[in-house]
Amino acid sequence: MLAGVGATGTLPHEGAGRPASPARRKYLAWAVGVGGILLVLLSPALGTVAIPTGTVFAILLHQLSGGFLFSDPCSGTGVSPRLCSAWVEIVWTSRLPAILLALTAGAALGMSGATLQGIFRNPLADPYLLGLSAGGTLGAAVLFVFQVGQSEANVALPAFAFLGSILTGLAILLAARVMGGSVESLLLTGVALMSLLSAILSILLLYNPVGSLQVDFWLLGGLGGATWDRVGIAFGGVLVAGVMLSLYRRELNLLQLGPEVAHSLGVEANRVRTRLLLFSSLATAMAVAFTGIIGFVGLVSPHIVRRLVGPDYRRVLPGSALVGGVFLLAANDLAIGAFPQTALPVGIFTAFVGAPFFLYLLYRRRHAPGGAPP
Amino acid sequence: MSLNPPSSDPPAPSVPVAVVVVAILVVCGLTVTATAAYFELKPTSASPGTVTVTDDLGRTVAVPADPTRVAVLSPSITDSMVDLGLRDRIVAVDCYAGAFGGLTADYTASQIAQWNLTSSMCVQAAPQLSIEQLLNATPDLVLVSTIVSESAIEEVSTTYHLPVLVLQPSTLGGIIVDVELLAQVFHVGAPAESLVAALQTHLAQAASVGANLSANGTALPTVMLTYYADSAGYWTYGPGTFGDSLISLVSAVSISAGQTLPYPEMSGPQVLVANPWGIIYAVGFGVNLTIFQQAPYWSSLSAVGADRVWGMDSTLLTEADPTMILEGIPQLLGLLHPTAVG
Repeated sequence: MLAGVGATGTLPHEGAGRPASPARRKYLAWAVGVGGILLVLLSPALGTVAIPTGTVFAILLHQLSGGFLFSDPCSGTGVSPRLCSAWVEIVWTSRLPAILLALTAGAALGMSGATLQGIFRNPLADPYLLGLSAGGTLGAAVLFVFQVGQSEANVALPAFAFLGSILTGLAILLAARVMGGSVESLLLTGVALMSLLSAILSILLLYNPVGSLQVDFWLLGGLGGATWDRVGIAFGGVLVAGVMLSLYRRELNLLQLGPEVAHSLGVEANRVRTRLLLFSSLATAMAVAFTGIIGFVGLVSPHIVRRLVGPDYRRVLPGSALVGGVFLLAANDLAIGAFPQTALPVGIFTAFVGAPFFLYLLYRRRHAPGGAPP
Repeated sequence: MSLNPPSSDPPAPSVPVAVVVVAILVVCGLTVTATAAYFELKPTSASPGTVTVTDDLGRTVAVPADPTRVAVLSPSITDSMVDLGLRDRIVAVDCYAGAFGGLTADYTASQIAQWNLTSSMCVQAAPQLSIEQLLNATPDLVLVSTIVSESAIEEVSTTYHLPVLVLQPSTLGGIIVDVELLAQVFHVGAPAESLVAALQTHLAQAASVGANLSANGTALPTVMLTYYADSAGYWTYGPGTFGDSLISLVSAVSISAGQTLPYPEMSGPQVLVANPWGIIYAVGFGVNLTIFQQAPYWSSLSAVGADRVWGMDSTLLTEADPTMILEGIPQLLGLLHPTAVG
């Protein structure tokens, strides 16, 4: 584990619990990998409409083969051709994009969380807790409330969300510099910013009740609006953000040693942090624009990854993307499976996992040697 | 804790922001084009003939010439369909958490029993439309109000190629327009004509009551129309809303007419100062008199002391459909102007 000392004298990149042994790491990595693949395979069978699992796979193979395989994917079910056609649309045009959007948004949040933890040398940094998601939400909510560019929402949503995220990120960066960047001041800055952004959003919604209904549900986070177009845009944006972040993996590693050491090794800390913040804001915005606010994915994923592959950002960034995607997909499956009639927003379920994890990390900080004073 | 050696990678190149922006646009454009081209489903086969109509949002929609499978995702539109004798064409209605909430509020148990409801007819319309449930009902036409989000309407229309008509009248006259629109889409001449005639008669009667009051120099009563209350105050209808126009039509003055918000919550002191002559509160969907009695200054209001407080079925006050005109307006007139309407 990296031993860079944080501003409060704590280890900035402790994972959850003791570092795993190499053999255990390998075992856990396999478990996460196999579990992720199984999740991706089984997810199309879950939804608010009950479609036989075999039919779901027949539909997928039928569509992927361009109609060559399973010419009648609903054979044996006894349903009418009309209903079969509806099932094909449900699986191919609704469920599959939702799965891919979950993987993409989860990857974005995972990478963003890992990067923010690196920028601020703070294990509790997360796009949700620092207010980046709230900033993106406010930016995107302007579209709903004022119906700005509604017809071009696919492009306008991420653009507005990006604007909101990056402005919030820059405010946090400024606050971190002014207040020293300790864990407490950073989190409190995030809380204050979130409150401010929520207040602004509330005022906007108060005068626009029609937009309010949409935004209220959107604030809880969900994958209901997934389409192939949106998956494409989100994937493109996250790909760019991921590539750009990976170009700075060396700097991220050096930043963990402290700004002085990093500077002595040729890293212009302020410039690098700003750029990293720009790209993590882009990743966050791509997730927020199409899924709403989904909390704690960016907090949990990097911690899991560090337990599996260690603290080197060459592995942490792609690992956080993978784990973030799988985590969000699992939460979405849980949301559908638990309440199939209503399809509760996935953000509720990530909060159920993430909030206790956050408290656990706080507890560990207090009880770790050299941790924050009680 | 051991210190991992820093990565031996070469320093990252400096990338101008403009290059990043261009890269984002190029990558997004390429991925959208590629995914849309590869994955987009062919439009579902259209009916042989279509008719073009304009809905309440001004959208021009091509609907099947004779729609037989209709998803109706608003209780008020369901009522209009039933009034026109089109119940058999409804294959899906709005519900929440698997319960047909709108139907149980509007119809008796024996009426509902005639519907032969099945779980596949249940489509969650709000807060987020369940696309899966809607598609599973295999409708050839979808009728919605603005309770369904605009983005969901657009998604159903463009991604799933289902014609969607939005029926959201903004005035009482708009209810008649919508009945005529449904008559045009479903080719129901005679039932629609008699329904429209009845609606126009009721509106004319309300207008004539107002004219008589004005001719007699009678002062119009001030009214608070409230649909919910809490510890902070009373939720009412502001200017430009359906509830506000309803109060005007029955020759009364809403105490919230001067508010700036469309659906404001008036505080207890505000209501006390406004001192409404009468209070009409909505009953239904879990809301009853007790909720209003616990709101601030309730017992201090002169209308309460004078027993000019009336509960009305919330569906008559909130659902913009023929029933609002045929039943709601006569009830309101009878409560507010008992002598004028006899």
